[in-house]
Amino acid sequence: MAAIKKKKTLESSAGRLLVSACRRLTGVIKPRISKQQAAASASSPLHALTAAALALPGLMMTPAQAADEEAGFQYGHYQEGKRQLFGIKSRFKPIEVESLQGSGKIKLADRVRFAFNYIQDTWGGATPIATAPLSFQGNRENGVIAGATPFLQNNNVYFDAQLNPLQRNNAANTFSKDPQLVHTLSSASPETRKQGDFKLSYEWDEAALDVGGGISLENDYESRFGNLGGRWDFNQKLTTLNLGLSYTASDTQAIIDHDAAPYIYDTTSGTASYNAMYDSQIEILPGGKRVLHGKRQDWAAHFGLTQILNRNALFETGAGYTRSTGYMANPYKAVETAFIDPAQTPGPSGELTGLAIGLLEQRPDARNQWTGDLRYVQHIDGLDAALHFDYRFFHDDWGINAHTFAADWVQPLGNGWTVTPRVRYYSQDAASFYQPYLVSQQAFSKLVVDASGRPILVEADNPNNGKTYFRDQNFNLVDENGNRVDEVAVNPINKTVPFDRKLLPAHYSSDQRLSGYGALSGGVTISKQFTKGVSLEAGAEYYTHEGSLKLGGGGEGSYADFNYYVVNAALKVDLAALALAGAGHDEHSGHGGHNDHSRHSGHGPAGVMFDHMLSRSGDFMVGYRYMYGNQHGAMLHGSDAAGDMDIVNNGCPNSNGCFLASSGMAMHMHMLDLMYAPTDWLNLMLMPQFVDMDMSMRKLDGAPQPTTPAEEAAIPHHVLHEHNTGGIGDTGVYALIKLFDAPGHHVHTALGISAPTGDVGIKFRDTHGLEGGFMHYDMQLGSGTWDFKPSITYTGQKNRWSWGAQISGVKRLENRNKSGFAFGDIFQSTAWGGYDLLNWLTASVRGVYTVKGSVKGEFNGTFNKLGPMDYSTSYGGRYWDVGFGLNAFVPRGDLGGNRLSFEWLQPVNDDVNGYQLPREGALSATWSYAF
Amino acid sequence: MKRSQLAPAAACLIFGACLSGCAPVAPWERGNLAKPQMALDVNPMLSTLRSHNYSSREAASGGSSAAGGGCGCY
Repeated sequence: MAAIKKKKTLESSAGRLLVSACRRLTGVIKPRISKQQAAASASSPLHALTAAALALPGLMMTPAQAADEEAGFQYGHYQEGKRQLFGIKSRFKPIEVESLQGSGKIKLADRVRFAFNYIQDTWGGATPIATAPLSFQGNRENGVIAGATPFLQNNNVYFDAQLNPLQRNNAANTFSKDPQLVHTLSSASPETRKQGDFKLSYEWDEAALDVGGGISLENDYESRFGNLGGRWDFNQKLTTLNLGLSYTASDTQAIIDHDAAPYIYDTTSGTASYNAMYDSQIEILPGGKRVLHGKRQDWAAHFGLTQILNRNALFETGAGYTRSTGYMANPYKAVETAFIDPAQTPGPSGELTGLAIGLLEQRPDARNQWTGDLRYVQHIDGLDAALHFDYRFFHDDWGINAHTFAADWVQPLGNGWTVTPRVRYYSQDAASFYQPYLVSQQAFSKLVVDASGRPILVEADNPNNGKTYFRDQNFNLVDENGNRVDEVAVNPINKTVPFDRKLLPAHYSSDQRLSGYGALSGGVTISKQFTKGVSLEAGAEYYTHEGSLKLGGGGEGSYADFNYYVVNAALKVDLAALALAGAGHDEHSGHGGHNDHSRHSGHGPAGVMFDHMLSRSGDFMVGYRYMYGNQHGAMLHGSDAAGDMDIVNNGCPNSNGCFLASSGMAMHMHMLDLMYAPTDWLNLMLMPQFVDMDMSMRKLDGAPQPTTPAEEAAIPHHVLHEHNTGGIGDTGVYALIKLFDAPGHHVHTALGISAPTGDVGIKFRDTHGLEGGFMHYDMQLGSGTWDFKPSITYTGQKNRWSWGAQISGVKRLENRNKSGFAFGDIFQSTAWGGYDLLNWLTASVRGVYTVKGSVKGEFNGTFNKLGPMDYSTSYGGRYWDVGFGLNAFVPRGDLGGNRLSFEWLQPVNDDVNGYQLPREGALSATWSYAF
Repeated sequence: MKRSQLAPAAACLIFGACLSGCAPVAPWERGNLAKPQMALDVNPMLSTLRSHNYSSREAASGGSSAAGGGCGCY
C-alpha cells in the first residue's frame, strides 16, 4: 500500500511515462495482482481504454513475434564461382551446397509453445586448402587425369636473398621474382550435415521464458547445444528486454586420409613427430588410418533491448559475448611452409632453395568475441513498406574487427504479393596470426651425428627402437659396439631431426575466412500469400568477396576473390489461420462438418501414395511426407545369404572378381504434397522431393589383389569413408481422376509424370591424381529419366472398418539418362485393412508385393567397378512386405483438420537380382492438412 | 521485501532515462507496427539459411543471438 501511495504522489509531479513503465515492471513480477491493481486504479478513461486495447489479440502482438502456429519448408542452393588460378585449369567443380529445412511451431497448451527445426546440408566440390606463391605450383598436373590437382608436399621452391619467391624458368635455368599468390584447391566427395533443434516456451502476459537445445551431426564434426532465453515486455509493451544464454560442445573427428595426408606433413613418422610437437591430436589407428581429435566449447550470452519509438518505427539494440575454447582449427586446411636452410650456399643466380611442406594450421585455443548490434525498422506510410536497417560490430581477441551493414526494403504489392530487395556489406580485418604462407629460416630436417661427428643410422622399418648404427672406415655397417651387422636385415637410414617447432610462429592459418576483405551482396525475395494462411516464397542472393572491398583498405590480394549465389524456395503454412479458415468452411457446408467428411474419405496407411482425393472443388491440401529405408546385414543372392567367396567370384561379371560389398545403406526422402481440386472429379498434385543417402562399404574376404592404380586408390577410400549424397530428387506432377464414388466405396486413378530433377551425375572425388568416377547407381538422387507413374486405387469403409487396394507402376519413358543408364520399371500391388480404435485413431495392416527391374545400360564415363553395387545386374528384385500403421486425425480444436500417419513396413521376403543387401524395413510418416 | 522493490526502481531509473526520448504509442496506434513487414526478423527461415552461409565464409559468425549450432564448414 505504501508503494501505491508513493506512486500517486509521483504521478502528479514526475513524468507519466516513467510511472507507467514502473507499473508494468512490477506487474511482471506479480501479474495477477497487477491486473487487479490496474483495474482498481484505472482512474482515467485513457487507462481503461489502454487496458481494454491490450486485451485485443491483434494489438497484443509485439512486433518481433510471428504466427502462433506454423509449419515451413525451405530449400536452398549455394553455388560458388570458379577461383582465380592464373591460367591453370583445375579439374574440380566449385563447391555447391543443397540445404533443406523444415520447421514447425505448435501450441501445446494455452501458454506453452513448442518449436522444432530440422536442417540438412549436403555439399561437395572444391575449396582452397592452402595458399602459396604461384611459383610453388600448388595446383599442378599430377597423375593420369587431365587438370590440376593439389601438390603441397616436398616441393623444391626458390627465393631471393630478401625471401621473395622466385619463379624458375626450367629451360633457361633462370629465376625471376614472382610475388603472385594463389589458392591451392582440393575437392571432397559429398558430405552431409544434419541438425535438429527445439525450443519450448512458456508465455506470461508480458514475459516469456524459453529453453532449447539441439544436435548437429557430420561424419567429422558433432555439436550439441542448449540455450535459455527470456523476454520481458514492459512500458505497455513499448519496450522489450531479451536475454539469451547458450552452451555448445563440439567434437572434431577428422579422418586424415591418404589423399589429404600428402599436404599435411605426410608419413606415419611425420605424423608421430608432428604429434610430438603439438598436443597429441592425431591418433594413428591400425592400418594407418589417422584421425585428428579435437574438442571445443562455446559459451555465449546476448542481451537485447527492443523499443517502439513511435507508431511507425522501432529499434532493437543488443550486445553479445561468446567465449570459445578448445580446438578451433579446420583439420583440412594446411599452411604451406617453406623451410630455407640458412647455412646453404646460394645457387649461381643467388637463389636460395627451400623445401615446402603443408603444415596443419594452428589456431589459439581460446577466443573471446564481443558483438554489438542495432536494428532499425521504419514503416513508410505512403507505400505501406518497411525499411529495415541492421548494423553489427564484431570484435575478438584474434585481432578481428568486423562491420556488417544490411538494408531490406519489404514492399507489399497487394493480392498477397511482397517483394523484398536487400543489400549487405561486410568487412573484416585479418586475424593477427593469418599468413598466406610461411617462410621458416631453418632446414626442414637435419642429419643427427654422434659426439665424434659420425652420422647416426637407424632401422628404416623401426626407427624408434633405440638401436643405432654407424659406418666404419670401410663403409661397413656396424652397431654401437663396432660389431658388423647384416645390412639387409637392418635396412639402415640416416637418423634425422625435424625442424624446430619453436622457430615457427605460435599460431598460423591461411584460411581465407581469417584474411582481411570486404564482401558485398544483394538479392531479392518474392513471396505470395494465399488465402487460408499458405504462402510461397522464392529468392536469390549474389555475394562477392574481395580484398579490395575491405573497409579502410589493406585487404588480401585479388587472387583470393570469389563469389557465390544462393537461391531459395519456401512454403509456409500458418496453422492458426488455416484453422480459422477451416472453421468458416464447416459453417457453410451445413452438414456433419468438413473435417469429419475428409476423415472418412478413404485415407490409406502412411506408406500408400495417391490414396485419397479431395472431394470438393476449390479444396487445397498441403502435406509433408517422410520416408526412410534401410538396408543392412549379410548379402543376399536371390533369397539366400551369399558368402564372400560367392560374391567375389560371381558378383562382378566379366572381371577378375569383386573387391567390395556394401555393408549398409540408408535413404531418407522428404516430400511435399501440394494438392488442389479444380473440380470434384479431378485433383492436381505437385510433389517435389528432397533425398539423401549414405552407404558404407566393406572389403570382401578373399577379394583379389587390385590390378590398376585406380582400384588400389579407390578401395581403401571406399572402406574408410561413408559415402553421402543429398539434394533435390525427382519432381512428380499428377492428375487424380475419380472413377467411381458410392457410399462406402470409391475408385480413382492417378496418372503422373516424374521429371528428372534429381542429379544423376554424382561422382567420387579424385584420389591420388586418379579419377574417382561415378558413384553407385543407388546413390544418385533421381532416375534421370522421364517416368510415367500410373496407379489405380480402391477404398471402402463401413462403420469402424476401412479397407483398400492399389496397383501402381513406374514406367521409364527413356532407355537411358544423361549419365548412360536407366533404372528398371516398377510394379507394385498392395491391399490393406484398418479399424478405428478411437474416433481419432485408426490402426492398419497392409500387405505389399513389389517387382523392380534391373538397371539398363551403364554409366557413360569413368566408373570404378569394385563390387556388385556397380553392376546393373545387381539391381531390382521381387519383394514382399507387411505394413503396420497408425493414422491420427485431429477432428477439432486449434489443430483441427491436421492428420498425422505412421507406417512401418517389415520385409517378409526378398528375392533380389544378383547380389544385394537385404532390406531391414522402411518407415513412412506423413502430415497433411486439407482446407 | 526491500530488495524486490529496489530492483525494479533501479531498472526504472535506467530505462526511464533512455525512454524519455520516445513518444508514447497507444496500443490502438500500433497497427503499422503489427504488420508482418515490420517484424524484426521478417523471414526467420531465410535468415537461418543466410546466416549459415555467411558464417561458413566469414570470421564474425554468430553473436546476433545466443543459440548455438553445428559447423557445416565447407
